Amino acid sequence: MSFEWPWQYNFPPFFTLQPNVDTRQKQLAAWCSLALTYCRHHKLYTLDIMEAQESPVFNNKKIERIIKTTMNELLIVLTSGNLEWLDKNKSRCLVMWRRPEEWGKLIYQWVSHQTERQVNIFIFPETSQTNPSRFLPEFHGLEEWMLLRSLQALQSDGKAEIITMDEGKGVKFF
Amino acid sequence: MRRGVGAGAIAKKKLAEAKYKERGNVLAEDQIAQMSKQLETFKSNLEEFASKHKQEIRKNPQFRVQFQEMCATIGVDPLASGKGFWSEMLGVGDFYYELGVQIIEVCLALKHRNGGLITLDELHHRVLKGRGKYAQDVSQDDLVRAIKKLKVMGNGFGMIPVGGSYLVQSVPAELNMDHTVVLQLAEDHLLKEGLAWLDSQSAGEAQYWLPALFSELSSRDITPEEASQMTP
Repeated sequence: MSFEWPWQYNFPPFFTLQPNVDTRQKQLAAWCSLALTYCRHHKLYTLDIMEAQESPVFNNKKIERIIKTTMNELLIVLTSGNLEWLDKNKSRCLVMWRRPEEWGKLIYQWVSHQTERQVNIFIFPETSQTNPSRFLPEFHGLEEWMLLRSLQALQSDGKAEIITMDEGKGVKFF
Repeated sequence: MRRGVGAGAIAKKKLAEAKYKERGNVLAEDQIAQMSKQLETFKSNLEEFASKHKQEIRKNPQFRVQFQEMCATIGVDPLASGKGFWSEMLGVGDFYYELGVQIIEVCLALKHRNGGLITLDELHHRVLKGRGKYAQDVSQDDLVRAIKKLKVMGNGFGMIPVGGSYLVQSVPAELNMDHTVVLQLAEDHLLKEGLAWLDSQSAGEAQYWLPALFSELSSRDITPEEASQMTP
């Protein structure tokens, strides 16, 4: 299914930082939403700021408009909750179009449906046969760092326990 | 013998009425005397207040607004005339007179550019700039009052309410209106009101877009190029 662009995407002024404060707020919120939905659609978990400049999200060739991915105002809005810098230079970031807590919930739900309240252990290094992402399209492509964070979220919630073993890690669900 | 009707009764009645009337007058006189006394007291209190706070009135725009409103409630206009009791005592008249002159200067200076139409915000900004940092602070309320006075003197000044503020007109509408200039002002104002968006990446000068119009156009499948040709 192809990505559906919001109406703002073809509106040339959308790519100019608006001088009016109220308009700007709406604009940046729309950019945040667009960036996240795009990443979600394409299952992108990381973003390289420089490379992203060439991506269709920030570069609309049809109407010949671009928005600078290095723009502070844009980055501030994205970072407030959904982006996490991987380096000090702010050139790469993790994109959390779904937060670890939300992933954790989904995983837990899926697990509960699998075995009717029995305790489950999954081992999930790359060679694993029982990595949840193999079983559910929703989890497909879920990168290990995110998976780990989601499980950690469940752990803090008392719903799971991560067990470190020689072969890798396992998870016990309660 | 019957009472009431008869010349005697009528006369009595007239006498009673007269007595009441006299009493009424006497009462009114009393009241007037009392009121005058109250007014005297009030007036001297106000004088004392004004002289005590004269500095404050001149320096503090917020205080000035409150003072003006207080005067209004008791039916006193401190700006009524340059030589009036109040303006002399309070010395506020000069302040507004000077401000009026400054406003005229700003408007004259910009007339060739804006056709005699300026937003209250911009006027405020420029007046403050012109006054320099050591001058007394001036609020938009002060400007509005000064302009009202100018209107009375027949200087061709007017105020057009737009959005939550005003456009100040220093030239009567029939004369000297450069339409493109007015449109420019309108665009600036639309931006301020959040009705228009700025596009700085268009070839040539910056363009203004109206989202409302855009969605309508999009639904009829007009290309952005065609749409941009429709904007001024």
